[in-house]
Amino acid sequence: MTCAEFEQVLPDFLEGTGNRDLEAHLNSCPKCWELVSDLRAITEECKLLRASEDPSPRLWDSIEATLRREGLIRSSGPQRPFLVPTTRRRWAPAARLTPVAAVLLLGIAFFVGRRIHEPVAQQQNPATQSVASATDSGVVSPDQDEQVMAELAKDAPMVEASYQENLNDVNSYIKDLEHVVQANPDDLDARQLLMEARQQKAMLYEMALDRSLP
Amino acid sequence: MLSMRRATRLSVCFLTLIFVAGLALAETRKEFRFTVGPNASISVLNQYGPIAVKPSSNNQVTVIAILHSDRVEVDQDQSASRVEIRSHLLPGANAQSGQVDYEVLVPAGASVNMYSPTGPLRAEKLAGDVSLEGANAVIDVHDVSNAHVHVKTMNGPVTLTNIQGGHVEITSVSGDVRLTQVSGPLVHVSCTSGKIFYDGDFGAGGQYSLISHSGDIEAIIPPAASFDVTARSMKGKVENDFPFQPKSHTSFPLIQGSSFAGTIGQASSSVVLKSFSGKIRLKKR
Repeated sequence: MTCAEFEQVLPDFLEGTGNRDLEAHLNSCPKCWELVSDLRAITEECKLLRASEDPSPRLWDSIEATLRREGLIRSSGPQRPFLVPTTRRRWAPAARLTPVAAVLLLGIAFFVGRRIHEPVAQQQNPATQSVASATDSGVVSPDQDEQVMAELAKDAPMVEASYQENLNDVNSYIKDLEHVVQANPDDLDARQLLMEARQQKAMLYEMALDRSLP
Repeated sequence: MLSMRRATRLSVCFLTLIFVAGLALAETRKEFRFTVGPNASISVLNQYGPIAVKPSSNNQVTVIAILHSDRVEVDQDQSASRVEIRSHLLPGANAQSGQVDYEVLVPAGASVNMYSPTGPLRAEKLAGDVSLEGANAVIDVHDVSNAHVHVKTMNGPVTLTNIQGGHVEITSVSGDVRLTQVSGPLVHVSCTSGKIFYDGDFGAGGQYSLISHSGDIEAIIPPAASFDVTARSMKGKVENDFPFQPKSHTSFPLIQGSSFAGTIGQASSSVVLKSFSGKIRLKKR
């Protein structure tokens, strides 16, 4: 077996699919022995790196290019890149799990974030929270409307009907425009009107709370 | 029989008189005076009842308050040129017994903040910024020059007359808004179901935007007016009396009868009329 033949099957050899001929060549050729030793050392180092972070394929490309430049490996025809496939093959199942892990992490972050903010939020008046969220995001749930109206009914029942009527008007304003924006996201007019509608809702919440506060 | 009827009538009149006199006696008039410097800031907050603000001829703020019962007090606070007047409801107060009628005289250049959910709110002949807020309040502002006017209401009708040279911003949900001879660098009206009526010349090279959801928008303009106009009603109609130079490029598709964009005269001001389903009319005076 020549060195060139050995290098052609080197990736498979490094993955442990060796045979007697390969072993015999390796034991008789100091150059190939040195190459295999270096590659094994790199592979071991890479395993340590993997424990913390899966490096980018560009790193493997760069290592491969360096090895080629130094003449330690040669081009092996139309096959896959020398180092990357090994890693990819070994980590392929893990890679498939990456989106699942990302979703899990996001879920945990969301849950932890809520837990951290809950005590502060609980100290606030729920209706005040509704105003804040109505102003911040413009996305208001019917629950928030109910909270605000419940506060108002408690402290200013005479004006409750009139507020409810106006709230219904503003909600239909928002709903109409959300449909337009969904149908045509590039419609700047509709977006502007939607913003106006949300501001009206925030104003309405503010007024309702002013009425319900002593 | 006749004398019996007469006696009944007399007793009804007598009782009515006693009732009215009792009401009058229950009312208390209070007057407060504060000396302020230039650029004073005056806030009047009243849970039930009207607030009227007029200019004074000196550097004094005068507050005349009519309290409708002893279940309400007037709290006052002055810090340098900042004055705050606030109705303070005592336990058991309601819309009748908690009512206070305010008449406030302020130096013409003072900025004024008025809050009363029931109103009415009235400001006139001022040269300082005015902010008026009242959910159900009838709002009337006239003869304000070179100052900003901000109005927020839920269903109270808003009337602005002869307002020049400042920003005008009005937000109303269902209250109609009527602007007569209102011009300035920025005039912005936003309504949900309230109607918007503008009678003026869209002058002063300003930016005018009249926006509604379902309320109609009507503008009556003199024939010599000059402005750039964009009008669009997404689900409603648009009518225009003016010949105009159409714009070649707009951010939305122009549809005959529901939108138009063009230039009238020299286009010194910019006018935007937008509605979701309300009717928009641009009329010649």
